[in-house]
Amino acid sequence: MAERTGRRQWASSLHADPAPRDWSHPAQHTAVGRRLGTRPRLFWLGGGLLAVACVMALFGPWLAPYDPALSVGPPLQPPGSGHPLGTNDIGQDVLSQLIAGARTSLIVALGVAAISAALSWLVGLAAGLSRRLEAPLIGLADLLLALPSIPLYLLIVTLIGPSQTNLILTLGLLSWPAFARVVRSVVIRVRAEPYVEAARALGGSNLHLARLHLLPATLDILPTKVILTVRFAIFAEATLAFLGLAQSGTVSWGSMLSWAFSDPLLFARPVWPWLVLPPALAIAVVILATTWVTTGLQHAPATHPPSTHAETADRPLARAAPLPAEGNPPGEPAAERSRERRPTA
Amino acid sequence: MRRDPARLLARYLLLAAAVVLLNFLIPRLLPGDPLDPGGAEGMTAATPLPAEARARIADYYGLNEPLGRQLTDYLGDLARGDLGWSIAQPAPVARLILERLPWTLALMLTALALSTLLGTALGLLAGWRAGRPLDRALVSLSGALSAIPEFLIGIGLLAVFSVGLGWFPLMGGRTVFAAYGDGPGATVHRLSDAAWHLALPATALALAGIAGFLLLARDTTAGLRGESWLTVARAKGLPVRQVVLRHALPNLALPLLTFFSLRLGAVLGGALVVERVFGIPGLGLLAFQAVRARDYPVLQAEFLLASLGVLLANLLAELAYLRLDPRRGAGHG
Repeated sequence: MAERTGRRQWASSLHADPAPRDWSHPAQHTAVGRRLGTRPRLFWLGGGLLAVACVMALFGPWLAPYDPALSVGPPLQPPGSGHPLGTNDIGQDVLSQLIAGARTSLIVALGVAAISAALSWLVGLAAGLSRRLEAPLIGLADLLLALPSIPLYLLIVTLIGPSQTNLILTLGLLSWPAFARVVRSVVIRVRAEPYVEAARALGGSNLHLARLHLLPATLDILPTKVILTVRFAIFAEATLAFLGLAQSGTVSWGSMLSWAFSDPLLFARPVWPWLVLPPALAIAVVILATTWVTTGLQHAPATHPPSTHAETADRPLARAAPLPAEGNPPGEPAAERSRERRPTA
Repeated sequence: MRRDPARLLARYLLLAAAVVLLNFLIPRLLPGDPLDPGGAEGMTAATPLPAEARARIADYYGLNEPLGRQLTDYLGDLARGDLGWSIAQPAPVARLILERLPWTLALMLTALALSTLLGTALGLLAGWRAGRPLDRALVSLSGALSAIPEFLIGIGLLAVFSVGLGWFPLMGGRTVFAAYGDGPGATVHRLSDAAWHLALPATALALAGIAGFLLLARDTTAGLRGESWLTVARAKGLPVRQVVLRHALPNLALPLLTFFSLRLGAVLGGALVVERVFGIPGLGLLAFQAVRARDYPVLQAEFLLASLGVLLANLLAELAYLRLDPRRGAGHG
């Protein structure tokens, strides 16, 4: 199983392991093989697709043939020369809109991921460290997890207005609970480690412990959290825009679809393929790409609390500490399970 | 995890109270003013209400009262089933919701049933052949389907089966101008017409939710393959089919039950969005219209109903779990 060794490789890049282990897997004879061979091919495909989307988002204004907001041609032109993906019903160039939509998705995704990850870690560390804060914080997380999300977003975003800032704030402030629980569970496990106890005995405050000892131990689930939240944000942004909650004047893939579907005769005319398919495929491809990247990441670090002691023994988290490697017998790294149990952002 | 029913009930009552309170507080404490459509950031500016009309509406809704008084009024209204009056449509919100509810419920329940059945069946198949190509294909396909937003799956199905092949209607919940006639045949007609219109949206939702059920069934089955009692069953000469159905399947009941209730919120959200793709006149379309008209009471009522519904379903699932779990009472609790 290539994934098993890949996990070690992953962990060592984040934490300086004082006792480097021998790389015994035959797939890792060369340095290149070590880097590339351990992740599934779809991981790289997904990463490549995301890179393309990022390029579109960053250099959109220079790549797009027209201004996405203006009518630049006759309405409902089929794809052809001049307009590679045709024009919509008010003569806007579909390709230019598609490129502009990438930027909207990226901004929302990064904003939401930053807020959500920061909150997840803040709440997770606080709840794991402070007995007084634990019950209210976890109660709040449970409440938020229990609420059906789409009706809640509709309610809030309609009230405060669907500007991009509001959207990012709403999605970011409401999507932290799942990973706050994961972070807390890691903290609870790590705080029982002897090195944390030792640091506490030396007079380390909670803040000191959190910053120096617990935070580093939780960091290897950060990439998973970020990419899952990116996927969630793109998904939610598209969904809300499709339901009519998008900043007016800003092009997004979801609002392109929403616009197309506001025509009751959309499918009665042969225009739908270039009005519906480009944004729909763009959303689908980007979301699938993030999914593949997530799966690839989860082959590496285990992001779930292990259930048995044997599993705990080999966890990279536990080895983040400057403890001498005691030669723990390698536990069974539930590589199978880490793929299925995907915490949603 | 295991709790006694009384504590469970208390916990859910607390959650329900929190939901009601949240529903009360959100429009009152968040920035943004339901009475000022022009004030919403990012929307095209609408004509603001004249100050006098605004004052009268605020007065009518009791928005000038102290918050505590508003809360008791709100709870009183809620207890009487009064969810307020819609802003955009001349009807009480409760009636609008009740009119639309059957469509959404039918859509959700059909989709949940479909994905449970299909997912479990395929999961058993995949789990029995864990590691083989069929297993990998099913797992990755269902994973991809669960990642994509439901409405995109809906659009795909619509494009292929309605627009391309013409097997299903393009939109709506019933045939326009349909005359169902009278008598007992009419009801059958009406229902079959609705079912024909709901087939694609329900399939889209079911496909989007199939992954969890499939993985659950697959993992359980794959894990069972090593169990000794299963080896015994097969050594006795029981046919594989019978081993799976009689011995492997019952093990799935409890995790499936939990998962079923976990999925409910997601399915509800999916249904709301898919309804817009197919023009199903359910709560989703109502919400969409409400968003456009900034019809705040409707959205509030939908959120309240959805959250309480999901909480109730979760409670029922947990109670059922307590009753069904054979380990309860055996000292493992």
